Amino acid sequence: MQKHHYTAILFLVATAVMAFIASKDFLKMYEHDKVFPSEALTKTGMLSDYLPNLKGSNGDTEVYFFDSGVQGGTTLVLGGTHPNEPSGYLTAVVLMENIKVTQGKVIVIPQACRSGFTCTDPMEALPLGYYLKSKSGDRYFSFGSRVSNWLDQWPDPEVYTHYPSGQKLSGFETRNLNRAYPGKAKGTLTERVAYAIVELIKKEKVDVAFDLHEAAPEIPIIKAIVVHEKAKDIGAMAVLNLEFEDLKYALEISPQNFRGLSHREWGDSTEVFPFLMETSNPIQGRLRGRTNADLIINGVDNNYKIALESGKLRIEYDPEGEPLSVRVARHLQGIHAVVEAFNGFYPERQIVYENVPSYSDIEANGLEVYLQ
Amino acid sequence: MKTISKLMVIVLLGSIFLFPQNDIKFEKPILISSAGQSADVTLAGMLLKKSKTEYKALPMAKEADLEGIKTLIIVPGFSSKGLGAAGISRDQEKARVNALVNAAKKKNIKILMLHIGGTARRGQQSDDFNQIAAEASTHMIVVKQGNEDKFFTKIASDKKIGIKVVDKMADAAAALKEVF
Repeated sequence: MQKHHYTAILFLVATAVMAFIASKDFLKMYEHDKVFPSEALTKTGMLSDYLPNLKGSNGDTEVYFFDSGVQGGTTLVLGGTHPNEPSGYLTAVVLMENIKVTQGKVIVIPQACRSGFTCTDPMEALPLGYYLKSKSGDRYFSFGSRVSNWLDQWPDPEVYTHYPSGQKLSGFETRNLNRAYPGKAKGTLTERVAYAIVELIKKEKVDVAFDLHEAAPEIPIIKAIVVHEKAKDIGAMAVLNLEFEDLKYALEISPQNFRGLSHREWGDSTEVFPFLMETSNPIQGRLRGRTNADLIINGVDNNYKIALESGKLRIEYDPEGEPLSVRVARHLQGIHAVVEAFNGFYPERQIVYENVPSYSDIEANGLEVYLQ
Repeated sequence: MKTISKLMVIVLLGSIFLFPQNDIKFEKPILISSAGQSADVTLAGMLLKKSKTEYKALPMAKEADLEGIKTLIIVPGFSSKGLGAAGISRDQEKARVNALVNAAKKKNIKILMLHIGGTARRGQQSDDFNQIAAEASTHMIVVKQGNEDKFFTKIASDKKIGIKVVDKMADAAAALKEVF
């Protein structure tokens, strides 16, 4: 009997130790990554400034303002709409840590779906984060879920009905920020985040807005810029200019009957020209093998390589991989090309910034020197 | 002297058959339409603007839109988003394109195929649109990346259609200027 007590205590202690270790990892997901905005920062706000009922929730997130003080246009850059698409988040971070704005205003939200950064998708064996070299040493960046955390929005309905269109999607999409626009002031957490972002676009009179994404290599719209039809000439000009720099992008027009997406609803419900950009992210691929931080950073997946060599792969895939640095570089160059095209069409609302690395800067120097 | 004249005639005729693209000329007014509803139609418009050529762009053009048109530029390439934006299915789009090119042929309107989307507008989903447009055309302008497997070169050779392969999309502007 005595022996059983000792065994029980031993198991209890072992369980407590394991729970302690696991809870440390779990709670780490709620810690905010450190970011170091450039000296051009003029104000840090919160998304709840545009919808007070978000205050104190996991949907509230930082909004960084870089105002030149010189009259011009305004651009908004959204990273982290899908926290499992790291190039969007990292692009926003690199932009805000280096930018100097000389005309107009730049607004950056690096973690648009803050709640999604506090968990990962179940059954996917995804890492919680990854370390990147920076000027100040190794820096940790969170990796998250495609959607808001279940703990913040529970339960999912069987069928998600988009507000206000009534479009029906699978229940999982109820927590997808990029199916929730234009949002609802008294809706679910995800709908409220979407509503606040649309309010920000309206109140700050944003002219050009970017929603940065990634997609699995087998998705046909990777390396694409998706535009609302009212922004198609700006998008076309940007794609042509990018081609001069040897960067190939496909231009896609937002479907009018696919509701809830930024490139559709921002354009329909505000004056803004919306642009959604995609890069290729093997960690989202269904064919992927070992799923770890290395795959996020280097983007080399042996399974895709094997499929490519077998001749069965019907998509464009670089066997050398799709490194995070290249994906960030593409997004930064894409933003620059769109802003330049916008400036050409609307010279009275110029947005001019400098000191942000170009594609070739990152190709030559890597990401490290552009992370503070 | 007679031999020289004969040789000159042979060289002249040979050059016509071997290099038909050098002689091809298209007339205005121009209508640009899509085959597959990709946004490459917008890019094609930008290229014509760059070469200061006037045009009308109707991604969903139908027979009635060919009234008064001398050249139909078809820009092939499938886009699921584009089809969604147009609110039509793949089969409906194929039927529209077939009807449009047949109507153009009946009206003796020359068709120029412009493929500028590279690999993004090739493959299973795009190639039937590419084939319809290429085979119906009098001349093709193709960006190299979309012709790595000689898909368009083969159609051009089989159907004796002129083809100009350019390195980049931006180079297509000069190629367009040459034929107008």
